Amino acid sequence: MPLNAAAADVIHPGAAGRKRAGSGEQFWQFRRYAQTDAADQIDWRRSARSDEYFVREAELETARTILFWADPHPGFDWTGGREQMTKSTRAKTIMLALGSGLARSGERIGVLGGTRPPSLGKAAPDRLAEDLLTSQNEALPPPKSTALAVIASDFYDPVTDWQTRLAPLAGRCHHGVLLAVSDPIEHDFPYTGRTRFSRPGSLQTRIFGRAETVRDDYLARFEAHREALAQLALRMGWALVTHRTDQPALHGAAALQLALQQFGARR
Amino acid sequence: MNLGPFLFGAPLALLGLIALPVIWYILRATPPTPKQADLPSLRLLDDLEAREETPARTPWWILLLRLIMAAAAILGLSLPIYAPGAIGDDAAGGPVLVIVDNGWTSAQRWSELRNAAASALDGESRDTPAHLLLTAPRELNQDPGERFTRTSFEARIRSLQPNPWPIDRADALARLTASNLSPARILWLTDGLDPETAEPFARALAETAPLTIYAAPPRGPAALSGLSADASGVTLTVRRADPVNAVSHYISALTLDGAALATTEADFAAGEADAEAVFTLPPAALARISRFQVTATSSAGNVWLWDSADRSRRVGLVSGDRTAQPLLSDMHYIRKALEPFATITEGELIDLIADNPDAIILTDIGQIDPVAEAAVTAWIEAGGALIRFSGPLMAAQDAPLVPAPLRRASRAIGGTLTWEEPQPLGAFPETSPFAGLIPPSDVKVRQQVLARPGPDLARRTWARLADGSPLVTADRRGAGTLVLYHVTAGPDWSDLPYSGVFVDMLRRTIAAGRGEAVPDEDGLYTPALALNGSGRLIQAGPNAAPLQAADFGTVIASETHPPGLYQGPSGTRALNVARDYRPAAVTNWPASAILLGDAEARNLRLGGLLLGFALILLAIDLLVALGLAGRLPRLAKTVAVITLLSLTFTTVLLQQPATAQLHNGPDIEQNTPSKEVEAALRMRLAYIETGDANTDRATSAGLLGLSLTLYRRSSVEPAEPHAVNLETDALDVYPILFLSLPENPNPFSALAVANLNRYMRSGGALFIDTRKGGSIGTSTSFEGLDAVLEGLDTPPLAPVPTDHVLTRSFYLLNGFPGRYAGRRLWIEATGASNRDDRRGDGVSRLFVGDADYLAAWAVDERGRALYSVDGGDQQREMAKRFGINLVIYVLTGNYKEDQVHLPALLERLGKEDHEPVDKTRDDPND
Repeated sequence: MPLNAAAADVIHPGAAGRKRAGSGEQFWQFRRYAQTDAADQIDWRRSARSDEYFVREAELETARTILFWADPHPGFDWTGGREQMTKSTRAKTIMLALGSGLARSGERIGVLGGTRPPSLGKAAPDRLAEDLLTSQNEALPPPKSTALAVIASDFYDPVTDWQTRLAPLAGRCHHGVLLAVSDPIEHDFPYTGRTRFSRPGSLQTRIFGRAETVRDDYLARFEAHREALAQLALRMGWALVTHRTDQPALHGAAALQLALQQFGARR
Repeated sequence: MNLGPFLFGAPLALLGLIALPVIWYILRATPPTPKQADLPSLRLLDDLEAREETPARTPWWILLLRLIMAAAAILGLSLPIYAPGAIGDDAAGGPVLVIVDNGWTSAQRWSELRNAAASALDGESRDTPAHLLLTAPRELNQDPGERFTRTSFEARIRSLQPNPWPIDRADALARLTASNLSPARILWLTDGLDPETAEPFARALAETAPLTIYAAPPRGPAALSGLSADASGVTLTVRRADPVNAVSHYISALTLDGAALATTEADFAAGEADAEAVFTLPPAALARISRFQVTATSSAGNVWLWDSADRSRRVGLVSGDRTAQPLLSDMHYIRKALEPFATITEGELIDLIADNPDAIILTDIGQIDPVAEAAVTAWIEAGGALIRFSGPLMAAQDAPLVPAPLRRASRAIGGTLTWEEPQPLGAFPETSPFAGLIPPSDVKVRQQVLARPGPDLARRTWARLADGSPLVTADRRGAGTLVLYHVTAGPDWSDLPYSGVFVDMLRRTIAAGRGEAVPDEDGLYTPALALNGSGRLIQAGPNAAPLQAADFGTVIASETHPPGLYQGPSGTRALNVARDYRPAAVTNWPASAILLGDAEARNLRLGGLLLGFALILLAIDLLVALGLAGRLPRLAKTVAVITLLSLTFTTVLLQQPATAQLHNGPDIEQNTPSKEVEAALRMRLAYIETGDANTDRATSAGLLGLSLTLYRRSSVEPAEPHAVNLETDALDVYPILFLSLPENPNPFSALAVANLNRYMRSGGALFIDTRKGGSIGTSTSFEGLDAVLEGLDTPPLAPVPTDHVLTRSFYLLNGFPGRYAGRRLWIEATGASNRDDRRGDGVSRLFVGDADYLAAWAVDERGRALYSVDGGDQQREMAKRFGINLVIYVLTGNYKEDQVHLPALLERLGKEDHEPVDKTRDDPND
């Protein structure tokens, strides 16, 4: 039985019914009463229709685990305009919205590489929120058992770097989502004139005498980078969801939910 | 160095201009700082080489801006001076003597004179020594022999202020001669007035050395040279020096603390040197004026200090009147009439005489004890004025201190028992001090004391009634005067105190009574406030010496006797520097002297201006640099915030005086608790807090019930009842207070009882319910009451008579049931009040009962009765009716009592007029 369950997990990670009797809410079958059954398991309504006692069995359901991770890099916790929230905050908002929905439908949620194991139930969203805000884990450690992973970052490092970083995780988690959150300024590159650029989190600066000349190159590279990232997700069997912070958070959440549903998560 | 009209203080600094090309080169080579930008996706550009790095250049207009800035700074450092009238190059060799007229006549154009003096050493004569001669004499004069260098001379000139006393050119010339100074040239900066001294002075100077004169006569009015005052106003004489155009100037009348009470115009006709400013002001306002000033000028001569010599008197009041109701008090009318003109002291007669006031006023005092009488007599003989008012007491007694012997009874004119009508005032006799006043026709005298006819009576009479009987008599006693008004000072006997003539009569009485014997020309006056040269009031300086009263007309203002206010035995006296001064401009200057025009005498120092300009450019450059570096948007916001803040701050500062003024006035809403305001705005019942919560709640509910009943049934519409604390709350705003005593009451404090006494004396009513009627077999006892309200001013009490108004003021009642029936209600016994208690009117102000009335009235917030009543609903109804009767009785006073007799009166009238009684009542307009 544990073996079977483990096998079912491997085959079908986290889908709803397991097509066999077990603990769950959906009706599965009536079976005859056996000596080993407790008396309160007897379904008296069914038993009254015949001379024998019947026990009501439900379909086995197991909860899936969804793990979230937000990039702690300073460049991710950055916003180009005062009126927008930072990319990191937006990503965490979206993930938390998803997380509470998932928790309501009985999934197990947690933070990848967090100190606490993933949890179920009503308290789970609160714990997820706490962990998302406090977790500063740079690494992406593979979880103990298989799970769905949601990785939020801006992914501006070269795609090969990301491939290396994600490889162990992808080995354990067959499905996952890359949530790429970006700032509108990073899409537009509205700089002109003599400008000194610096990247948050690193001391490296670059001066462009006329920033507007770099714009076309930049946009081309940005597109290419996104393309490569999508390819990487596809190779791993994952999905890429992109989101801009000037869009409503609802868009990102909807896209992310769609991606998760594609992997069979309930709701 | 000299360059056209420009002089340079530090010409070497101009060499700095050579550096400008270098600065230009350096600025061109230094590019502006780049803009800063954060970009996380910079990583994407890591391997990108910038294709186009244009060399960064400073824009040409920034270059221009910075070059102008540098040039302005260099020019400013060379201290240029614009001096179109640079003087006397030929005589630059020897020492310069600068003579400054620094009397009050120079104050108006002092800054120009000082500027011209300071520029005496500009130009070629910058290194020659200077000497200074000041024409206004001081105790320690500036020695003309003292040598000044250029810097020390300038510092000395900057510290000069015009003196508030006149100049003495002859004295100055004597000092110059004594110093044996032989200057190479002389610069005389003069006020250009007084030709009779100026011309010889100028001639003498021109003989000594080449003379340059800069004359700056005052442009506007030069002097306030005289004042004449009468009862209705003040006329000021204004004089000017250049009687050419027709102009008008404003003159303000100010109080001592500088508030302007009035402003009037003085119009100079063309060619006239004199003008008059007439202030027509009510006497009360005149009394507050302490000085007059030509507005928008600053000179000691343009201020006229007005002393108190003929205005303020000290008056003592002695009252025989002891009522607590101010509007019925004699003293109230006298005080109101005199307050604007006199300093009033109240007290006992003996104490007042010791103060030696100008006049003492006695209201209705019959006997004066012998000691006081002797003192008063002596005081009158020495020049005091005793003013007496009659009254019942005086009419009843032989009064010794009267101007004419009186009859032993007062005469009542008009009224039920006489045939005569109340008498109006007759015309005032020509010889009396009241002559000129117009007797009002609506003033009627109803009662007076009569003088015994005698040969002197007509001479002693100051005012008469229309029928010729004396109203005011007066007699001289020694140096003083004794005045008697044959009526009361209050409105009891006549309408005189209501009229405006009363105020004038009192004023003239005091003034006439002052007597000639007050030794006006004696006494030493010490300087209290002095004027400075600019016409501002300051503390008198250390050199100011006291002045004999007799000298005020003759003394010439000087350092020892600065113009100002002097304090002495009879108030203040003023020394005005421009009294009788007649300004005249000098026209006949010596032919050899060089006269400077206004433009030539003025020098403009450009150094500060240029440096300031450079600083402004620097600030602009800073903003531009920040803008180029991309930091301006944030900065713009900050600048906007700072501007906004400073604007707000300025506005607040500007508004502050106005607010402060507002706060000086009585501010009802802030100073008075809202409870009092509420009570004053809407009539309401009130109860006294006993401290016992249960009792207070019952009392409150009882008053609520009574108020509701009143509201429904009568035209009395009280608002919600208040609870009052006897010690802290204002009681006078409530018509009646209820006190319902708990089982074991706490005694009230002495302060509370005193407040309660005052409340009852000034017309309030107090209803006390001891709530002991429930215990069988006791009659009403006040034992507990004495302990609780110890010291309450209790009049004699009696049970309510059966025919008392209280039984019929609204409903007809047979008894006064409360929660208990058949209890007695005690009120003030009729006829117990004596004359001192003006509350008279026959209305009781104290009600004491024990039937627990308040419980019978009590309702909850839905209007349901709270407590059971002995006799059921019928008795409760009777209790409510009693409550209504009580409130109506208290509110209407003796009106209802009179109404009781109305049918009888109407019946009598009806018999005379044959007019049906009922019709008159139904239709009063008929």
